[in-house]
Amino acid sequence: MRLTTLLILVLLVSLSCITSQTPRKQLTLAVVSGVEGDSLKQAARDYESQTQTHIDVVEFPYTNLFEKELIDLKARTGAYDLIMLDDPWFPRFASEQFLTDLSPLLQKRGQSGPDPDFVGASLALCRYPYQTGPFYALPYVGNSQLFFYRKDLFEKYSLNAPATWNDVLAAAKTIQEKETAGANGAKTYGYVMRAAQGNAAVADFMPIFWAFAGEMFDASGKPTVNSPEGIAALQFMIELGKYSPPGYASFNADDVGAHLLQGTAAMSINWPAWISAFDNPSKSKVIGKMEFTTLPRAQKPGQAEIGNWLIAIPRDSHNAELAMDFLLWATSAEQMKRSAERGNPPTRKSLFQDAQLLAKYPAYPAQLRSLESSRPRPRTPQWNEIENAFGIFLSKANSGVLSPAEAMNQANAEIEKILQRAK
Amino acid sequence: MPKSRRFFNAQNKRELLLPLLFIAPALAVLLSLSIYPLIYSITIGLQQEAASGARWTLENFARMATDGFFLTAMAHTFVYAIAALSCEFLLGLGLALLLNKQIRGRGLFRASLLVPMMLPTVVVGVVWRLMLNPNFGAVNGTLKQFGINTESLTWTASPRLAMLSVIAVDVWQWTPFAFLVLLAGLQAIPQEPYEAALIDGSSRWQTFVHVTLPLLKPSILIVLLLRTMDLLRVFDQIFILTEGGPGFATETISLYIYRTAFRFFDFGYAAAMSFVLLALTNVISALYIRFLQPQQATEVTK
Repeated sequence: MRLTTLLILVLLVSLSCITSQTPRKQLTLAVVSGVEGDSLKQAARDYESQTQTHIDVVEFPYTNLFEKELIDLKARTGAYDLIMLDDPWFPRFASEQFLTDLSPLLQKRGQSGPDPDFVGASLALCRYPYQTGPFYALPYVGNSQLFFYRKDLFEKYSLNAPATWNDVLAAAKTIQEKETAGANGAKTYGYVMRAAQGNAAVADFMPIFWAFAGEMFDASGKPTVNSPEGIAALQFMIELGKYSPPGYASFNADDVGAHLLQGTAAMSINWPAWISAFDNPSKSKVIGKMEFTTLPRAQKPGQAEIGNWLIAIPRDSHNAELAMDFLLWATSAEQMKRSAERGNPPTRKSLFQDAQLLAKYPAYPAQLRSLESSRPRPRTPQWNEIENAFGIFLSKANSGVLSPAEAMNQANAEIEKILQRAK
Repeated sequence: MPKSRRFFNAQNKRELLLPLLFIAPALAVLLSLSIYPLIYSITIGLQQEAASGARWTLENFARMATDGFFLTAMAHTFVYAIAALSCEFLLGLGLALLLNKQIRGRGLFRASLLVPMMLPTVVVGVVWRLMLNPNFGAVNGTLKQFGINTESLTWTASPRLAMLSVIAVDVWQWTPFAFLVLLAGLQAIPQEPYEAALIDGSSRWQTFVHVTLPLLKPSILIVLLLRTMDLLRVFDQIFILTEGGPGFATETISLYIYRTAFRFFDFGYAAAMSFVLLALTNVISALYIRFLQPQQATEVTK
């Protein structure tokens, strides 16, 4: 079925190429639907009106974008000249040499590398191997996790801003005990986390895992999630789960958002995209009561998970030069500011300090601190599969089916199997 | 007589050509849309990608035997299918027997019973997901009104209740189908056998077991066959209700195949698993037909 559809598509694309022999320059762009992609789409329209380039924008929902791009890259159709990608996909794409090395294109334009105004943590994501290799993409949207907490409740019970994970646990306990009225009455949970299998559980666990000095792989690349530190981190997550609404082992981002907006939970780890919702009177019961800060520490300093949207040029693009021009234009400070105004966190330091943007987004200083100290998900081409397996065991431990040690031992064995198979 | 034979051959050919021409479009569609993909999926299931190109191997099939996720997902699929099928069949039969009688408001009952079946599965999934939400959902909200402590009733989020919840949703949606087919079957049974049974002095239970059930066999076969095929490949409701969670508690084989193919991009292994599911479904269907096909019908077709 898939192949047949693909064949028909290829046929249609080649047909349209033959029929539309226009002298105009043309680019095709694959973007994610939603605010991140909308902003790039808008930029493409602006670029069209300024230059003689015609830009086709193909939009896919997040869950389909990865498969569409991978199919196209594998089949080497060159259908897209630019692709938006979520940073955990990058190692997969780069390791199979699907992307264009940007360095020669930059050098041709008299630049030795990407603009140093980009946040270091974001730029590091665009290199393969991580941090040291050549650049295969540029960062467009600079998300990283933040710690959300209810300022008003912290003041009410004279609690200090949450600096360590133990502070968080103590505050969760205090708030939940004091804010509960009867067995079935109104209640504010101390904390809300998401531990649905897959991405959700892993995203909420990694900052705790790292702060407790856990490491997913040792120096030789062997999985070590079942280290004493890792087990202690999971133990702590479950302890914190006692102050999370029942059923959190199946929560996704929307459940967490709903609890925070309804004022039924006091703290959580979340992504900057949610910040604006708290000031929206039609959604929020906690206007002006939320505070955003960097992640708490334990044995090690707190580190957020980074989640940037990157833009890359597929290796088989026929218009790499033109694509590079657009890429540099779209990620320039001026254009990224427009993207920021549309609601996407930037990846440039100067924009996080821009007075106009700061007035609109007061959480920017915290976001920049979080982004600069953030950490990527382990850079492996098998990340999707590892995240899925790891998430299943985290979710099982949080729903009480497995003990923390059992969960981590089984997760470790499963991750080892995945890596073995990939060899 | 070579001359006449040639003549007949030519005529034969001409006679054959026209029907072939008529069949050709259907055949082409069948070949390209179902036979070719089937063969293609089996070949990729039997191949493993290597640096030097694909090589033939049975690795994908061998991997299933040691893959804990696969075996658990298979077990879940069967638990789900058996539980849901039994409930749907028994409830459907009961309702059909009840509404086969002349009772007041029969039309209204029949019509309202069909509503769940008419809703798209995705809608059913979303509606039940909201209703079963432990904190804001209608189910727990109602229970709270009656003073029941719902703290531990987390439905789709609880490892113990999640499977039960997804089964209940399927029963809610598909019992009407069993009901509808069985009711049609009941109404097609002629009056005479019942009169004969009455004259012979059979009890109601005896009439049910020896008259109604045997004559209902064709309808029972349809219900069991179609529902089993559907239940074994269940995807959408579970994907929306739990996405296979919490943990792995409701992951069925279709969900696992989907993940393997489109999240991990291991099409070979996914194709191999799909093939095993197809083979199992075929075997089960064949068994149904063998044991439930009415004797007379088989003789007639022979």
